[in-house]
Amino acid sequence: MLRILKISGDSLQPELESGDFVIIGKIPGWLSRLKKGDLVAFNQPGLGLLVKQVAEVEAGGQAFVLLGTRPESVDSRTFGAVLRERLVGKVIYRIHR
Amino acid sequence: MIHQFLSSLDRRIPFRRAKAHCDVPCGIYDPIVAQIAALTVVRMVDLIKDLESRGGSDAAFQNSMARYIAVKEEHAEKVKHEIRVIWGDFIKPQHVEKHPETTEVVQKIMQLGSKSRQAVDRDVAVQLVEAVNQFAEIFWDAKGLTVKRAKAPYAPALELVYPNL
Repeated sequence: MLRILKISGDSLQPELESGDFVIIGKIPGWLSRLKKGDLVAFNQPGLGLLVKQVAEVEAGGQAFVLLGTRPESVDSRTFGAVLRERLVGKVIYRIHR
Repeated sequence: MIHQFLSSLDRRIPFRRAKAHCDVPCGIYDPIVAQIAALTVVRMVDLIKDLESRGGSDAAFQNSMARYIAVKEEHAEKVKHEIRVIWGDFIKPQHVEKHPETTEVVQKIMQLGSKSRQAVDRDVAVQLVEAVNQFAEIFWDAKGLTVKRAKAPYAPALELVYPNL
């Protein structure tokens, strides 16, 4: 299944800017092959739908350390590794402003 | 051109927003705010009891009593808020693994914070200070710092946990 999301915020600059669009896919095969550098959308309790970059794959692919590209980003440094079941999809295409 | 098309569509049927999100200030957590708020609760209980012992019912008495109660309410809630933020935003699974009492300490703080608002009880307020001190010890250990205890240099001169910097 594919979805289009609009990016809000700057913590993934220069990869993504506020106002960019992304197409995300949640086909099981894609999520099982996530690797460092991939961008993923996920639900984070209290913060909503976020997009961050995979920094590490843990526990055989069951958890992911997800980081922004900027030091002030709220990411796994704040809320820890993200479990697979919270992933909404992998960014498969970016439409920049 | 694709971006222009999507932007036009977004104005009509908004796409869901995904936040590549920054929070400011990031990384600035310190339990001292909660510790001072807990001390304030004790101080207000002392002031309420002192005013009560002197008696009175005129406007000046009621004004002071109302203000002490309002400040006690505000700071008991502040304790709960500050601890919730640090617990939710900073404390990670590895910290809880090292200090399995963390959740119990946080629950104790929430309950004592509420009880401090419901009653005018110095013992409860002092227990709140100590519970926040326990949380502070866990927090500073998570930051890799040792701690010391020292009496606050203002009334009520109760012990607070401070980091060794």
